[in-house]
Amino acid sequence: MQKTKQIAIILPDTLQSTGLQSLLTDYFPPVEIACFNSYESLISDGVEHFDYYFTQADVFVLNTDYFLPRRSKTVILLDKEIACPSSTGYYTLNIYDSQELIIEHLQEILVAETVHTTEKNKELSSRETDVLKLIVQGSTNKDIADKLHISLNTVLSHRKNITAKLGIKTVSGLTFYAIMNGLLPSDFIG
Amino acid sequence: MSGVVEEYPSLIPVINRFGIRLGLGDQSVQELCGTYSLDTDFFLTVINTFLNEEYFPEKKLQSFHTSQIIDYLQKTNHFYRQNQLPNIERHLSYFIKGSTGNQSLSLIGDFFAKFKKEFESRIEYDEKTWFPYCLALNDKLQNAAQTVSPPSPLQKEDSIEEMLADLKKIMVKHLSGQYDENLCYAVIVAINNLQKDIKQQNRIRYRILAPMVNAMENTANK
Repeated sequence: MQKTKQIAIILPDTLQSTGLQSLLTDYFPPVEIACFNSYESLISDGVEHFDYYFTQADVFVLNTDYFLPRRSKTVILLDKEIACPSSTGYYTLNIYDSQELIIEHLQEILVAETVHTTEKNKELSSRETDVLKLIVQGSTNKDIADKLHISLNTVLSHRKNITAKLGIKTVSGLTFYAIMNGLLPSDFIG
Repeated sequence: MSGVVEEYPSLIPVINRFGIRLGLGDQSVQELCGTYSLDTDFFLTVINTFLNEEYFPEKKLQSFHTSQIIDYLQKTNHFYRQNQLPNIERHLSYFIKGSTGNQSLSLIGDFFAKFKKEFESRIEYDEKTWFPYCLALNDKLQNAAQTVSPPSPLQKEDSIEEMLADLKKIMVKHLSGQYDENLCYAVIVAINNLQKDIKQQNRIRYRILAPMVNAMENTANK
Protein backbone atom coordinates (compact mmCIF):
# COMPACT_ATOMS: atom_id res chain seq x y z
CA MET A 1 0.00 0.00 0.00
CA GLN A 2 1.24 3.44 -0.87
CA LYS A 3 0.88 6.23 1.58
CA THR A 4 -1.54 8.95 0.53
CA LYS A 5 0.42 12.03 -0.45
CA GLN A 6 -0.84 15.28 1.06
CA ILE A 7 -0.45 18.02 -1.50
CA ALA A 8 -1.04 21.76 -1.29
CA ILE A 9 -1.60 23.74 -4.45
CA ILE A 10 -1.15 27.46 -3.96
CA LEU A 11 -2.10 29.14 -7.22
CA PRO A 12 -4.38 32.11 -7.87
CA ASP A 13 -5.36 30.79 -11.30
CA THR A 14 -8.35 28.48 -10.87
CA LEU A 15 -7.90 26.67 -14.17
CA GLN A 16 -4.23 26.08 -13.55
CA SER A 17 -4.86 24.68 -10.13
CA THR A 18 -7.78 22.54 -11.32
CA GLY A 19 -5.67 21.17 -14.17
CA LEU A 20 -2.78 20.31 -11.90
CA GLN A 21 -5.14 18.77 -9.41
CA SER A 22 -6.67 16.51 -12.01
CA LEU A 23 -3.28 15.40 -13.35
CA LEU A 24 -2.13 14.52 -9.85
CA THR A 25 -5.34 12.71 -9.01
CA ASP A 26 -5.43 10.74 -12.25
CA TYR A 27 -1.80 9.81 -12.58
CA PHE A 28 -0.41 9.73 -9.06
CA PRO A 29 -2.98 8.24 -6.71
CA PRO A 30 -3.43 8.10 -3.84
CA VAL A 31 -3.25 11.85 -3.24
CA GLU A 32 -5.16 14.25 -1.08
CA ILE A 33 -5.10 17.74 -2.49
CA ALA A 34 -5.90 21.07 -0.89
CA CYS A 35 -6.15 24.09 -3.17
CA PHE A 36 -5.46 27.63 -2.00
CA ASN A 37 -5.75 30.77 -4.08
CA SER A 38 -3.18 32.64 -2.02
CA TYR A 39 -0.42 32.21 0.52
CA GLU A 40 -2.71 33.80 3.13
CA SER A 41 -5.41 31.20 2.66
CA LEU A 42 -2.82 28.43 2.96
CA ILE A 43 -1.67 29.87 6.29
CA SER A 44 -5.17 30.45 7.61
CA ASP A 45 -5.99 26.80 6.89
CA GLY A 46 -3.59 25.98 9.71
CA VAL A 47 -2.24 22.70 8.33
CA GLU A 48 1.40 22.58 9.32
CA HIS A 49 2.65 19.95 7.01
CA PHE A 50 2.10 18.84 3.44
CA ASP A 51 4.19 16.32 1.55
CA TYR A 52 4.42 18.63 -1.45
CA TYR A 53 3.69 22.25 -2.29
CA PHE A 54 2.92 23.46 -5.79
CA THR A 55 3.06 27.18 -6.28
CA GLN A 56 4.27 29.90 -8.62
CA ALA A 57 7.44 31.96 -8.55
CA ASP A 58 6.06 35.20 -7.10
CA VAL A 59 4.28 33.44 -4.25
CA PHE A 60 7.51 31.62 -3.52
CA VAL A 61 9.64 34.76 -3.65
CA LEU A 62 7.28 36.78 -1.46
CA ASN A 63 7.16 34.09 1.19
CA THR A 64 10.64 32.66 1.29
CA ASP A 65 10.48 32.42 5.07
CA TYR A 66 7.87 29.77 4.61
CA PHE A 67 9.07 28.05 1.47
CA LEU A 68 12.85 27.99 1.86
CA PRO A 69 12.79 25.50 4.72
CA ARG A 70 10.41 23.44 2.59
CA ARG A 71 12.21 23.85 -0.70
CA SER A 72 12.91 20.17 -1.16
CA LYS A 73 9.15 19.61 -1.19
CA THR A 74 8.20 22.65 -3.23
CA VAL A 75 7.50 22.67 -6.92
CA ILE A 76 7.44 26.02 -8.69
CA LEU A 77 5.36 26.45 -11.80
CA LEU A 78 7.16 28.50 -14.41
CA ASP A 79 5.42 30.20 -17.27
CA LYS A 80 8.49 30.89 -19.33
CA GLU A 81 11.74 29.25 -20.19
CA ILE A 82 14.01 30.23 -17.36
CA ALA A 83 17.40 28.69 -17.15
CA CYS A 84 17.17 27.06 -13.79
CA PRO A 85 20.27 25.61 -12.26
CA SER A 86 19.31 22.28 -10.84
CA SER A 87 21.48 22.89 -7.83
CA THR A 88 19.03 25.38 -6.35
CA GLY A 89 17.38 22.52 -4.53
CA TYR A 90 13.80 23.06 -5.52
CA TYR A 91 11.75 21.62 -8.33
CA THR A 92 10.28 23.48 -11.26
CA LEU A 93 7.58 22.66 -13.75
CA ASN A 94 7.14 24.49 -17.01
CA ILE A 95 3.45 25.01 -17.68
CA TYR A 96 4.01 25.27 -21.43
CA ASP A 97 5.47 21.79 -21.65
CA SER A 98 3.35 19.07 -23.24
CA GLN A 99 1.17 17.02 -20.92
CA GLU A 100 3.40 14.03 -21.50
CA LEU A 101 6.49 15.93 -20.42
CA ILE A 102 4.75 17.43 -17.39
CA ILE A 103 3.66 13.99 -16.23
CA GLU A 104 7.19 12.74 -16.65
CA HIS A 105 8.54 15.57 -14.51
CA LEU A 106 5.87 15.00 -11.88
CA GLN A 107 6.84 11.36 -11.87
CA GLU A 108 10.46 12.21 -11.15
CA ILE A 109 9.50 14.57 -8.38
CA LEU A 110 6.88 12.44 -6.66
CA VAL A 111 8.44 9.04 -7.03
CA ALA A 112 11.95 10.10 -6.00
CA GLU A 113 10.89 10.04 -2.40
CA THR A 114 8.74 6.95 -2.20
CA VAL A 115 11.31 4.47 -3.46
CA HIS A 116 13.31 4.03 -0.31
CA THR A 117 10.36 4.03 2.06
CA THR A 118 8.61 0.96 0.64
CA GLU A 119 8.57 -2.65 1.71
CA LYS A 120 9.05 -3.05 5.39
CA ASN A 121 9.57 -6.45 6.84
CA LYS A 122 6.36 -8.35 6.16
CA GLU A 123 7.12 -11.32 8.40
CA LEU A 124 5.36 -11.40 11.72
CA SER A 125 7.53 -11.23 14.81
CA SER A 126 7.21 -14.14 17.21
CA ARG A 127 5.21 -11.99 19.62
CA GLU A 128 2.86 -10.96 16.83
CA THR A 129 2.47 -14.61 15.94
CA ASP A 130 1.48 -15.39 19.54
CA VAL A 131 -1.11 -12.62 19.44
CA LEU A 132 -2.41 -13.81 16.08
CA LYS A 133 -2.91 -17.35 17.38
CA LEU A 134 -4.93 -16.04 20.29
CA ILE A 135 -7.02 -13.71 18.14
CA VAL A 136 -8.14 -16.50 15.85
CA GLN A 137 -8.99 -18.69 18.81
CA GLY A 138 -11.50 -16.05 19.78
CA SER A 139 -9.65 -14.39 22.66
CA THR A 140 -10.56 -10.82 23.49
CA ASN A 141 -7.88 -8.18 23.72
CA LYS A 142 -8.12 -8.36 27.49
CA ASP A 143 -7.62 -12.16 27.46
CA ILE A 144 -4.60 -11.80 25.23
CA ALA A 145 -3.05 -9.17 27.48
CA ASP A 146 -3.53 -11.43 30.52
CA LYS A 147 -2.22 -14.56 28.86
CA LEU A 148 0.88 -12.98 27.42
CA HIS A 149 1.49 -10.69 30.42
CA ILE A 150 1.50 -7.55 28.32
CA SER A 151 -0.54 -4.37 28.52
CA LEU A 152 -3.75 -3.80 26.60
CA ASN A 153 -2.05 -1.08 24.60
CA THR A 154 0.67 -3.47 23.53
CA VAL A 155 -1.98 -5.92 22.35
CA LEU A 156 -3.61 -3.19 20.31
CA SER A 157 -0.34 -2.17 18.75
CA HIS A 158 0.46 -5.80 17.89
CA ARG A 159 -2.95 -6.12 16.26
CA LYS A 160 -2.35 -2.98 14.28
CA ASN A 161 1.00 -4.29 13.06
CA ILE A 162 -0.45 -7.67 12.13
CA THR A 163 -3.14 -6.04 10.02
CA ALA A 164 -0.61 -3.71 8.44
CA LYS A 165 1.81 -6.52 7.60
CA LEU A 166 -0.70 -9.05 6.30
CA GLY A 167 -3.26 -6.61 4.93
CA ILE A 168 -5.98 -8.76 6.49
CA LYS A 169 -8.56 -7.15 8.74
CA THR A 170 -11.14 -9.73 9.70
CA VAL A 171 -10.84 -12.61 12.14
CA SER A 172 -12.00 -15.02 9.41
CA GLY A 173 -9.21 -13.80 7.16
CA LEU A 174 -6.62 -14.11 9.91
CA THR A 175 -7.82 -17.64 10.62
CA PHE A 176 -7.17 -18.56 7.02
CA TYR A 177 -3.69 -17.09 7.22
CA ALA A 178 -2.92 -18.90 10.47
CA ILE A 179 -3.98 -22.30 9.13
CA MET A 180 -2.15 -21.81 5.85
CA ASN A 181 1.02 -20.98 7.70
CA GLY A 182 0.77 -23.90 10.08
CA LEU A 183 0.05 -21.79 13.16
CA LEU A 184 -3.16 -23.70 13.77
CA PRO A 185 -4.21 -27.28 13.08
CA SER A 186 -5.92 -27.58 9.71
CA ASP A 187 -9.12 -28.91 11.25
CA PHE A 188 -9.47 -25.79 13.36
CA ILE A 189 -12.93 -24.29 13.18
CA GLY A 190 -12.90 -20.56 13.81
CA MET B 1 -30.70 3.66 -22.72
CA SER B 2 -29.35 0.79 -24.80
CA GLY B 3 -26.30 2.91 -25.68
CA VAL B 4 -25.42 3.40 -22.03
CA VAL B 5 -25.87 -0.28 -21.23
CA GLU B 6 -23.70 -1.28 -24.18
CA GLU B 7 -20.99 1.01 -22.90
CA TYR B 8 -21.38 -0.15 -19.29
CA PRO B 9 -22.58 -3.77 -19.17
CA SER B 10 -22.05 -3.72 -15.41
CA LEU B 11 -25.36 -1.84 -15.26
CA ILE B 12 -27.27 -4.89 -16.47
CA PRO B 13 -27.73 -6.42 -13.01
CA VAL B 14 -28.77 -3.00 -11.72
CA ILE B 15 -31.48 -2.46 -14.30
CA ASN B 16 -32.53 -6.09 -13.88
CA ARG B 17 -33.33 -5.52 -10.26
CA PHE B 18 -35.65 -2.71 -11.29
CA GLY B 19 -37.40 -5.34 -13.39
CA ILE B 20 -36.01 -4.09 -16.70
CA ARG B 21 -34.83 -6.85 -18.99
CA LEU B 22 -32.63 -6.71 -22.04
CA GLY B 23 -34.13 -6.20 -25.43
CA LEU B 24 -34.20 -2.51 -24.64
CA GLY B 25 -34.81 -1.44 -28.23
CA ASP B 26 -34.56 2.28 -28.82
CA GLN B 27 -36.44 3.36 -25.74
CA SER B 28 -35.17 6.36 -23.84
CA VAL B 29 -34.71 6.21 -20.09
CA GLN B 30 -37.95 8.10 -19.63
CA GLU B 31 -39.91 5.80 -21.92
CA LEU B 32 -38.49 2.73 -20.19
CA CYS B 33 -39.41 4.07 -16.79
CA GLY B 34 -42.89 4.70 -18.15
CA THR B 35 -43.17 1.15 -19.43
CA TYR B 36 -42.04 -0.32 -16.11
CA SER B 37 -43.80 2.28 -13.93
CA LEU B 38 -40.58 3.46 -12.32
CA ASP B 39 -39.79 6.86 -10.86
CA THR B 40 -37.40 8.21 -13.49
CA ASP B 41 -35.66 10.51 -11.08
CA PHE B 42 -34.96 7.74 -8.59
CA PHE B 43 -33.91 5.28 -11.28
CA LEU B 44 -31.47 7.77 -12.80
CA THR B 45 -29.99 8.70 -9.44
CA VAL B 46 -29.29 5.06 -8.61
CA ILE B 47 -27.83 4.35 -12.03
CA ASN B 48 -25.58 7.36 -11.79
CA THR B 49 -24.19 6.36 -8.42
CA PHE B 50 -23.13 3.11 -10.06
CA LEU B 51 -21.58 4.80 -13.06
CA ASN B 52 -19.63 7.35 -11.12
CA GLU B 53 -18.37 6.29 -7.74
CA GLU B 54 -17.66 9.87 -6.76
CA TYR B 55 -21.28 10.79 -7.31
CA PHE B 56 -23.41 10.39 -4.24
CA PRO B 57 -26.11 13.06 -3.87
CA GLU B 58 -27.13 12.57 -0.24
CA LYS B 59 -29.70 15.35 -0.13
CA LYS B 60 -31.36 14.18 -3.28
CA LEU B 61 -31.51 10.53 -2.22
CA GLN B 62 -32.90 11.49 1.16
CA SER B 63 -35.69 13.36 -0.57
CA PHE B 64 -37.14 10.12 -1.93
CA HIS B 65 -39.76 8.25 0.02
CA THR B 66 -38.63 5.78 2.70
CA SER B 67 -40.62 3.01 1.08
CA GLN B 68 -38.88 3.67 -2.23
CA ILE B 69 -35.43 3.36 -0.69
CA ILE B 70 -36.43 0.22 1.18
CA ASP B 71 -38.00 -1.29 -1.89
CA TYR B 72 -34.74 -0.78 -3.73
CA LEU B 73 -32.66 -2.24 -0.91
CA GLN B 74 -34.96 -5.26 -0.80
CA LYS B 75 -34.47 -5.76 -4.49
CA THR B 76 -30.70 -5.63 -4.12
CA ASN B 77 -30.82 -8.11 -1.24
CA HIS B 78 -32.94 -10.40 -3.34
CA PHE B 79 -30.47 -10.10 -6.17
CA TYR B 80 -27.56 -10.99 -3.87
CA ARG B 81 -29.35 -14.04 -2.57
CA GLN B 82 -30.75 -15.27 -5.88
CA ASN B 83 -27.90 -14.38 -8.20
CA GLN B 84 -24.60 -13.18 -6.88
CA LEU B 85 -24.09 -15.57 -4.00
CA PRO B 86 -25.02 -18.68 -6.02
CA ASN B 87 -22.85 -17.37 -8.83
CA ILE B 88 -19.77 -17.12 -6.63
CA GLU B 89 -20.58 -20.50 -5.12
CA ARG B 90 -20.82 -22.13 -8.51
CA HIS B 91 -17.46 -20.79 -9.64
CA LEU B 92 -15.91 -21.55 -6.31
CA SER B 93 -17.03 -25.15 -6.25
CA TYR B 94 -15.53 -25.80 -9.69
CA PHE B 95 -12.41 -23.99 -8.59
CA ILE B 96 -12.05 -26.12 -5.46
CA LYS B 97 -12.98 -29.42 -7.11
CA GLY B 98 -10.60 -28.71 -9.98
CA SER B 99 -7.55 -29.05 -7.79
CA THR B 100 -7.95 -31.84 -5.29
CA GLY B 101 -5.60 -31.87 -2.40
CA ASN B 102 -4.90 -28.16 -2.39
CA GLN B 103 -5.65 -27.17 1.16
CA SER B 104 -5.58 -23.45 0.58
CA LEU B 105 -8.51 -23.77 -1.82
CA SER B 106 -10.72 -25.62 0.59
CA LEU B 107 -9.88 -23.04 3.23
CA ILE B 108 -11.03 -20.35 0.84
CA GLY B 109 -14.25 -22.32 0.49
CA ASP B 110 -14.62 -22.34 4.28
CA PHE B 111 -14.00 -18.63 4.44
CA PHE B 112 -16.63 -17.98 1.82
CA ALA B 113 -19.12 -20.20 3.63
CA LYS B 114 -18.57 -18.14 6.74
CA PHE B 115 -19.04 -14.93 4.81
CA LYS B 116 -22.20 -16.26 3.24
CA LYS B 117 -23.66 -17.15 6.60
CA GLU B 118 -22.96 -13.72 8.00
CA PHE B 119 -24.28 -12.01 4.91
CA GLU B 120 -27.46 -14.06 4.90
CA SER B 121 -28.11 -13.26 8.51
CA ARG B 122 -27.77 -9.58 7.69
CA ILE B 123 -30.26 -9.94 4.85
CA GLU B 124 -32.62 -11.81 7.11
CA TYR B 125 -32.34 -9.11 9.74
CA ASP B 126 -33.12 -6.51 7.06
CA GLU B 127 -36.19 -8.33 5.86
CA LYS B 128 -37.63 -9.40 9.18
CA THR B 129 -36.61 -6.61 11.49
CA TRP B 130 -35.00 -3.47 10.19
CA PHE B 131 -37.06 -2.73 7.07
CA PRO B 132 -40.40 -3.47 8.76
CA TYR B 133 -39.36 -1.17 11.58
CA CYS B 134 -38.46 1.66 9.18
CA LEU B 135 -41.77 1.29 7.40
CA ALA B 136 -43.74 1.12 10.62
CA LEU B 137 -42.02 4.25 11.84
CA ASN B 138 -42.86 6.01 8.63
CA ASP B 139 -46.43 4.80 8.89
CA LYS B 140 -46.71 6.04 12.41
CA LEU B 141 -45.60 9.52 11.44
CA GLN B 142 -48.03 9.68 8.58
CA ASN B 143 -51.08 8.06 10.09
CA ALA B 144 -50.47 8.48 13.79
CA ALA B 145 -50.47 4.72 14.18
CA GLN B 146 -49.53 3.04 17.45
CA THR B 147 -46.05 3.24 18.85
CA VAL B 148 -43.22 1.23 17.40
CA SER B 149 -40.23 0.22 19.42
CA PRO B 150 -36.80 0.12 17.85
CA PRO B 151 -35.39 -3.37 17.22
CA SER B 152 -32.29 -4.60 18.94
CA PRO B 153 -29.38 -4.20 16.59
CA LEU B 154 -27.89 -7.15 14.78
CA GLN B 155 -24.91 -8.55 16.59
CA LYS B 156 -22.06 -7.69 14.38
CA GLU B 157 -18.92 -9.70 14.01
CA ASP B 158 -16.72 -8.93 11.08
CA SER B 159 -18.11 -6.40 8.66
CA ILE B 160 -19.44 -7.79 5.41
CA GLU B 161 -17.40 -5.40 3.32
CA GLU B 162 -14.16 -6.18 5.14
CA MET B 163 -14.69 -9.93 4.85
CA LEU B 164 -15.08 -9.71 1.10
CA ALA B 165 -12.03 -7.49 0.82
CA ASP B 166 -10.03 -10.02 2.84
CA LEU B 167 -11.28 -12.89 0.74
CA LYS B 168 -10.06 -11.17 -2.39
CA LYS B 169 -6.78 -10.14 -0.79
CA ILE B 170 -6.11 -13.66 0.44
CA MET B 171 -6.58 -15.08 -3.03
CA VAL B 172 -4.33 -12.48 -4.57
CA LYS B 173 -1.63 -12.51 -1.92
CA HIS B 174 -1.66 -15.85 -0.19
CA LEU B 175 -2.85 -18.48 -2.66
CA SER B 176 -0.54 -21.45 -2.96
CA GLY B 177 -0.26 -24.86 -4.60
CA GLN B 178 -1.87 -26.06 -7.81
CA TYR B 179 -5.00 -24.39 -9.05
CA ASP B 180 -6.83 -23.55 -12.25
CA GLU B 181 -6.02 -19.97 -13.26
CA ASN B 182 -9.12 -19.52 -15.32
CA LEU B 183 -11.51 -20.61 -12.60
CA CYS B 184 -9.58 -18.60 -10.07
CA TYR B 185 -10.08 -15.48 -12.15
CA ALA B 186 -13.79 -16.23 -12.48
CA VAL B 187 -14.11 -16.46 -8.70
CA ILE B 188 -12.24 -13.21 -8.14
CA VAL B 189 -14.30 -11.34 -10.73
CA ALA B 190 -17.50 -12.61 -9.14
CA ILE B 191 -16.31 -11.56 -5.69
CA ASN B 192 -15.24 -8.21 -7.02
CA ASN B 193 -18.64 -7.58 -8.57
CA LEU B 194 -20.41 -8.42 -5.34
CA GLN B 195 -18.00 -6.25 -3.41
CA LYS B 196 -18.70 -3.25 -5.61
CA ASP B 197 -22.42 -3.74 -5.38
CA ILE B 198 -22.36 -4.05 -1.62
CA LYS B 199 -20.34 -0.89 -1.40
CA GLN B 200 -23.12 0.93 -3.22
CA GLN B 201 -25.78 -0.67 -1.09
CA ASN B 202 -23.94 0.20 2.11
CA ARG B 203 -23.71 3.83 1.10
CA ILE B 204 -27.46 3.90 0.73
CA ARG B 205 -27.99 1.98 3.98
CA TYR B 206 -25.72 4.00 6.20
CA ARG B 207 -25.76 7.42 4.62
CA ILE B 208 -29.36 7.60 3.40
CA LEU B 209 -31.70 5.21 5.17
CA ALA B 210 -30.05 5.35 8.61
CA PRO B 211 -30.16 9.18 8.82
CA MET B 212 -33.75 9.13 7.53
CA VAL B 213 -34.72 6.70 10.28
CA ASN B 214 -32.90 8.80 12.88
CA ALA B 215 -34.78 11.88 11.78
CA MET B 216 -38.09 10.01 11.95
CA GLU B 217 -37.24 8.70 15.41
CA ASN B 218 -36.52 12.20 16.61
CA THR B 219 -39.80 13.51 15.23
CA ALA B 220 -41.73 10.57 16.66
CA ASN B 221 -40.30 11.11 20.13
CA LYS B 222 -41.30 14.73 20.30
